[in-house]
Amino acid sequence: MVDLSQYLPILIFMGIALALSAAFILLPMGVARLTGAHKPDAEKLSEYECGFPAFEDPRSQFDVRFYLVAILFIIFDLEAAFLFPWAVSLDLTGWAGWITMMIFLGELVIGYIYAWKKGALEWE
Amino acid sequence: MDFTASLALIAPEILLSVSGLVLLLAGAWMGDGASRLVSYAAVAVLAVCAFMVAPALCSGAMGPDTVAFGGQFRADAFASFAKLLIYAAGGAALLVAPAFFERHGAMRAEYPVLVLFAVLGMGLMVSAGDLLTLYIGLELNSLSAYVLAAFLRTDERSAEAGLKYFVLGALASGILLFGMSLTYGFTGTTTFEGIRTALSGGLSTGALFGVIFMLAGLAFKIAAVPFHMWTPDVYEGAPTPVTTFFATAPKVAAVGLTMRVAMDAFGKQESAWQQVIIFAALASIVVGALGAIGQVNIKRLLAYSSINNVGFILIGLAAATQAGASAMLVYLSIYVAMSVGGFVAVLMLKDADGEAVEAIADIAGLSRTQPLLALCLAAVMFSLAGIPPLFGFWGKFVVFQAAVQADMIALAAIGIAASVIGAFYYLKIVKIMYFDEPVNKVHGKSDWIHWALLAVSAIFISPLGYLLTRWLGSLADKAAAALLFAA
Amino acid sequence: MIGIEHYVVVSSILFVLGVLGIFLNRKNVIVILMAIELILLAVNINLVAFSAFLGDLTGQIFAMFVLTVAAGEAAIGLAILVIYFRGRGSITVDDVNRMRG
Repeated sequence: MVDLSQYLPILIFMGIALALSAAFILLPMGVARLTGAHKPDAEKLSEYECGFPAFEDPRSQFDVRFYLVAILFIIFDLEAAFLFPWAVSLDLTGWAGWITMMIFLGELVIGYIYAWKKGALEWE
Repeated sequence: MDFTASLALIAPEILLSVSGLVLLLAGAWMGDGASRLVSYAAVAVLAVCAFMVAPALCSGAMGPDTVAFGGQFRADAFASFAKLLIYAAGGAALLVAPAFFERHGAMRAEYPVLVLFAVLGMGLMVSAGDLLTLYIGLELNSLSAYVLAAFLRTDERSAEAGLKYFVLGALASGILLFGMSLTYGFTGTTTFEGIRTALSGGLSTGALFGVIFMLAGLAFKIAAVPFHMWTPDVYEGAPTPVTTFFATAPKVAAVGLTMRVAMDAFGKQESAWQQVIIFAALASIVVGALGAIGQVNIKRLLAYSSINNVGFILIGLAAATQAGASAMLVYLSIYVAMSVGGFVAVLMLKDADGEAVEAIADIAGLSRTQPLLALCLAAVMFSLAGIPPLFGFWGKFVVFQAAVQADMIALAAIGIAASVIGAFYYLKIVKIMYFDEPVNKVHGKSDWIHWALLAVSAIFISPLGYLLTRWLGSLADKAAAALLFAA
Repeated sequence: MIGIEHYVVVSSILFVLGVLGIFLNRKNVIVILMAIELILLAVNINLVAFSAFLGDLTGQIFAMFVLTVAAGEAAIGLAILVIYFRGRGSITVDDVNRMRG
């Protein structure tokens, strides 16, 4: 009798592969079918704004500059997450830990200088 | 192992990161006019790093002397072999870039810096001795690569390639990470050595899921079937120098990483991953061969060819022996030369205005307008097909030999049969170039650096390459021995 | 009593939700970024739960690294999205199809 249990890995692998590739193809089709009952007319498409005609496009975009600031914020904010565990364990890690963190901060400062020099911090 | 010895072992990585940061600032201060200068400086840094890692390979370094930071990093002969290939591919991607981007007015000093950081990440990947090092290296490489794919900011296809690469790359990282978290949970450690010891007794279902998820994530990164769907789009959309880079260096790094994870960390549980690798190898060969047939864009065609080649490389891993690992490294070296040659040749296909020619129909009759270029492209195609006088045949030969020695005759036979199907579309290109009516589309003059790189890779894959087999084989053997010694 | 398996189940559910979020969504690429974050956070739950369960700090350190790298990844994703939007004027998933084959 062949020991079928040794084929479990390939079964799982195929399962993952099948699920992912099926998801790629079938899910968009399924969703299109389900949400696709779609017979627009002018009345349906107009926005309802307290009975007035709409003043402006409600989906106006954010200024791209907000994104730039947000991107810079994410990076410099979250990299600071290393500082707290470092600070509370400095008595264990000693000078090696201190120097490592200074190198890390130095790299962050280089990134900051680069962003500054490139004008990413200017609003206008 | 004390700190100084560890720091000495990671000297190439330190040099790469420091010079990357210096060049970043230099580029910011000197402006985009200095990008050519920064590129050449980056190439020089890569050359110095290559000299720094070469001794470890020539002496076949292995064992505890090569382990830095308590097992997190390994600077053994295997890592050195892979790093030399990565540095060479990175250097090629840097050298071909200025001429291409300057025509689009998009050469920026960030390009060489990003390539340097990607190369640094790939060096960490092949040297990883711990899941954490693996993850940091992989992400450093991937994050730089996402930006590189979208480097031509004004080109819609480039931006779309960047977006697709980002989404699927991040998904792959997520799958890989999920596998790593399960592996950590069920083995209680993140070092490869510890995982190996923990798994030597047996494999729990949880750890098995970890192994499979990690393999799925790695299959994404090496573009093996069934996780290959991003490759054609990204290779087509990314700027051609970046595609040259993607097709070579990250492949080497991801394959090297897969070898380390499979043969070292999961080395005691071969049966758990062997079938997965066999399946991925055969599927990649077949899908790569069949998918290429209907293609009209030469970059897409080369993308399918890279999927096909990954399949052949994985056959060596499926053998799970030292000979198999050595054969993979030989194949990888030849593959890097073939890919650099192929994509540089594509870069040189330009019409009279200097615009890139990518449609296969437009290179009809190339042998009459540009005989030398057509000859080199034909050599690359024959070599990719593995037709005997060219060096590409040797790579396939050693891989199949390793499979036969490991008693996987059926696998080798299917692989050989599929490589015959694959030969069809390579030969079709040659036929179009040599026997079809000329359309006279390709006129542009090329940079001498492109010609030089094309010449070097064409000579390497020509029958002259066989002079190197002994030397290449012995280096690959040393590297494979180091890989299995750690295991 | 909440055991390790409860955490693993929760994180697996979050992971699957994240993967489905990438494939199911047809409206907006930003949602894909959120789905990727969800996957990474599922991993973090796993790592921290295993770390506490095993009494081993490595998992928590790993989670810190995942957290910060995820921030970098999100930043780069947003940046690529901004470039894409400038070129196409839309970030609808269905429009990401200049290349097919």
